[in-house]
Amino acid sequence: MLDQSLSRRGWFGDLRLASRFGLRELRGGLAGFRIFLACIALGTAAIGSVNTIADGIEGSIARQGQSILAGDLGFELVQREATPEEFNRIEALGTVSKSVGLRSMALKIDGSDQSLVELKSIDDVYPLYGMVVTSGQVSLAELLAPKNGVQGAIAPQILYDRLGLKVGDRLKIGDIAVELRDVLVSEPDALSEGFGFAPRLMISDAALVQTGLIREGSLAEFGYKVRLANPPSTDGLKALQDDLKADLGDKGFRIRTSANAAPALSDSIERFSQFLALVGLCALLVGGVGVANAVQAHLDTKRPVIATFKSLGAGHGFVAMVYLVQIMVAAALGVAIGLVASAILPQLAGSALERFLPLQISNGIEPRALLLAGAFGLLTTLAFSLVPLGKTQSVTPQLLFRDATLEGGGTAGWPWKIAAGLVMALVAALAIFTSQQPKIAMYLLGGAVLSFLVLGVVAMLIVRLASRMPRARSTVLRLAVGNMYRPGAITRPVVISLGLGLTLLTAISLIDTNLRSQISGSIAGKAPDFFFVDIQGSEIDGFKTLLGHASPNGKIDTVPMLRGRITALKGIKIADYNVPPEAAWVTRGDRGITYSPVMPGNSTLAQGTWWAADYAGEPLVSFAAEEAGELGLGLGDTVTVNVLGRDITAKIANLRQVEWRSMSINFVMVFSPSMFKGAPHAWLATLADPSASAEQEAKILNTVTRAYPAITSVRVKDALTIASNFVEQFSMAVRVAASVALITSVLVLAGALAAGNRTRLHDAVILKMLGATRRTLVSAFALEYLLIGLATAVFAVLAGTVASWYVIDRIMSLTFSPEPWIAFTTIALSLAVTIGFGLAGTWRLLGQKSAPVLRTL
Amino acid sequence: MQETVLRLDHVNLTLGDGATRVKVLDGVSLNLHKGESLGIVGPSGSGKTSLLMVLSGLERADSGVIAVNGTDLTKLSEDALAQFRGRSIGIVFQSFHLIPNMTALENVAVPLELAGHRAPFERARVELEKVGLGARLTHFPGQLSGGEQQRVAIARALAPEPAMLVADEPTGNLDLATGIHIADLLFSACRDRDMTLLLVTHDMQLAGRCARQIKMRSGQVLDEAMADA
Repeated sequence: MLDQSLSRRGWFGDLRLASRFGLRELRGGLAGFRIFLACIALGTAAIGSVNTIADGIEGSIARQGQSILAGDLGFELVQREATPEEFNRIEALGTVSKSVGLRSMALKIDGSDQSLVELKSIDDVYPLYGMVVTSGQVSLAELLAPKNGVQGAIAPQILYDRLGLKVGDRLKIGDIAVELRDVLVSEPDALSEGFGFAPRLMISDAALVQTGLIREGSLAEFGYKVRLANPPSTDGLKALQDDLKADLGDKGFRIRTSANAAPALSDSIERFSQFLALVGLCALLVGGVGVANAVQAHLDTKRPVIATFKSLGAGHGFVAMVYLVQIMVAAALGVAIGLVASAILPQLAGSALERFLPLQISNGIEPRALLLAGAFGLLTTLAFSLVPLGKTQSVTPQLLFRDATLEGGGTAGWPWKIAAGLVMALVAALAIFTSQQPKIAMYLLGGAVLSFLVLGVVAMLIVRLASRMPRARSTVLRLAVGNMYRPGAITRPVVISLGLGLTLLTAISLIDTNLRSQISGSIAGKAPDFFFVDIQGSEIDGFKTLLGHASPNGKIDTVPMLRGRITALKGIKIADYNVPPEAAWVTRGDRGITYSPVMPGNSTLAQGTWWAADYAGEPLVSFAAEEAGELGLGLGDTVTVNVLGRDITAKIANLRQVEWRSMSINFVMVFSPSMFKGAPHAWLATLADPSASAEQEAKILNTVTRAYPAITSVRVKDALTIASNFVEQFSMAVRVAASVALITSVLVLAGALAAGNRTRLHDAVILKMLGATRRTLVSAFALEYLLIGLATAVFAVLAGTVASWYVIDRIMSLTFSPEPWIAFTTIALSLAVTIGFGLAGTWRLLGQKSAPVLRTL
Repeated sequence: MQETVLRLDHVNLTLGDGATRVKVLDGVSLNLHKGESLGIVGPSGSGKTSLLMVLSGLERADSGVIAVNGTDLTKLSEDALAQFRGRSIGIVFQSFHLIPNMTALENVAVPLELAGHRAPFERARVELEKVGLGARLTHFPGQLSGGEQQRVAIARALAPEPAMLVADEPTGNLDLATGIHIADLLFSACRDRDMTLLLVTHDMQLAGRCARQIKMRSGQVLDEAMADA
């Protein structure tokens, strides 16, 4: 008897047997899984590539920390040098290299042209790590040394090109002329010093003294890099940094270690890459719809086999396990393709990125990035497969006796739906907990889920509307509308998949266009034409007179300006104060501060009262209202600011509503005048002259630079061009990520259309048999695709506009303007994709012979 | 005393709702002993296939008793029923229903593997040799003729040595000569194994080869004697 030779399997045995059956069954190949594979591979590749690039950059920054910082430790002071006592404390640590950085004007020796430069002076021991690369072979010390009484300088090719110079030419910097001796190719610590607005000009420390540019209140950064005799581990460096912060931190020093050499860049890359990875996850979620469709189509074709398994003694759970194994094998293949792409694509992107980042980006495999992408790929597949798998419960062996009822159908039980929900929650949790910005991850995922739900409702409304439309007299319209609501209609998958991709693309296009038009349009229109910094108190009257002559129609504004860093709020050290991310920019690093007897013109009082013009009591400060709210500050609270190495505590006397959009001179903190009486400081001036032509602007710049070589002039148009270029690069990366979502949408759409074509073939054959011409059928199908594509595009335009309005108006506080051309482009794209893909498949069907199909009916 | 393999007692089955509600089986009672063969005939819609589905546990009856080898099928859960069916009832379909991506050997081994047999492939090989397909073990269903596919299906149904073999129009998709050959195979296999056979067919000649015949009409079993009418 059979029973005597039986063994008990248990759960693991079931899994092994199910795997055997599943793999045997896969011998037919993965033909039905093409869209499935593409969706999973694309989504995984997007997430994997972005994370690999980000991890590669961060890893490179960590590995090249000493070169990037040009030291083991770095100390920075703004507007003042270290005192002898402070310097002794730093020098006791190891070899010290001192450098000074400031913006200045470089004038051609004949005075005919000038350029803003990022001036940097270095000493003999610079750089402590890494090397300065020039196009020639001469040593750095020799290049910068005086020859025939003229100091040497090096600059990148861009400065030579901008001013029409060649090696050997001279430039006027402040009070002296320097000779350009070579072309600067790279400097090791460029990354840690942040992105410059102007080309670098490197000179010796002796030359800087001769320029006379370091004056009272000059906006110069004094850097002290230290090479330790025995550099400790990362933890040891951190401990040393903490000790030094306790000693020097409250004196205005910014202290960094080679373990965290470029924190601002690391943060930016982290945030940006996480945003891109989340866009990639959205693409994967869109692909999930394709996965669900493909799994459903696969299981529909397997209904006779499922019924056969059940007739031979397999339970429902076991059968579901067989197909889950198959789906996960296919998913593993899709993930593997995605991961291979994730390992290859960053190599290409890395070379491109090295043009923007002076960094050797590591080209290795980043296991964390790949693991995370793989986990997202597999979990998303599982989440979207469980419900179609649950539907196999409705497949019973009875179907084997009734071949005519072998079509798809049925619903999944609640346990399957709950399991799918739980896996989806796991995907969300993974995205949120691996993100350094969990809140943003939560919003983005919430937005994606909401979009899914809303698109589901939109699809349902379209189906209902179509089913309730009065019977049209036109056969074509009647067929088209009927196709939209019949069982197995493509309406739902097309609206959901394409809708999400188009919404994302519309939102990103609108944000990008608005940002760029703000920069080139309204910001440029509102902003002054020039900023002038480092104007000494003794120069301010003469400077205003000169500017008045050079620009008779111009409006000149001047304010005193110092640099200060908030060290405590309400008496709590800033390191211990709970600063929300949105207000972090206020407390991070040095901020421009000013004092004034009267309230600045572009502000309105929100709370409190302004001090009397002759007020001379305890220090008071006026704080920007929005930022005060974010920091939890109110009237009477104290703010401690370190200015020129001294901590000054002031009480908040009032809160101002600052109109940042006005682009005029604005400060978060305006102090009462008595506070800085006697403190060395410079002045900041702006000139707005809308009537000035480009030639006149060049003339103004030239006049000021020739008369006041130590005053730095910034042409706003140049700065905005740099900002615009940055936005362009940023939006390019976002567009690439978003286009992955759109490509996935199109793939899902193609899959849904292909699945729909099976039913469509039967319909077409019967209609042809009843006398419908090919033209009637093509018109009906085209009209159906047009109606669905149009409805999807209209929703995408509306949803994308609302999302971009929220980002531009509410988050960025800029003026939002809808762009009709984006709406038209979205609609055109949607129609092209739906009608194009739809008819491409249908056309082929209409060419098929009727007889073979009729025999199977 | 003869051992009862199948006992149906006042089995009723209604399908559909409202206006489409149809009484498919109406108080069907039936006893079948070990080694006995029964041919079920009747016009389309008379309830033959529904009776087959009910007695093999594929359809739940509204009322009545359905016992196979003493086990009341109405008391079993879906999964327990599937396991019981896998071991105790072999089914042969008109359309064969072999699994396309599995070889003949693997198809026959499936019920044995599901039942936890220790040597499923050896047993499957023996069964295929018995139906004359020893040389076709590694062929896929698509590479076999209709008659060969049905022989694989019979081997698959017989492999777990069920108490009862149920065949639904087993020759319906085959030409006359192949049909006769398949019928010979079915009857000889059941006779050799002393296995109970239930056969649904429109073919009176095929039904006539069974020891007993019943005729069904409107969900009711007519007198056995009337099967000849």
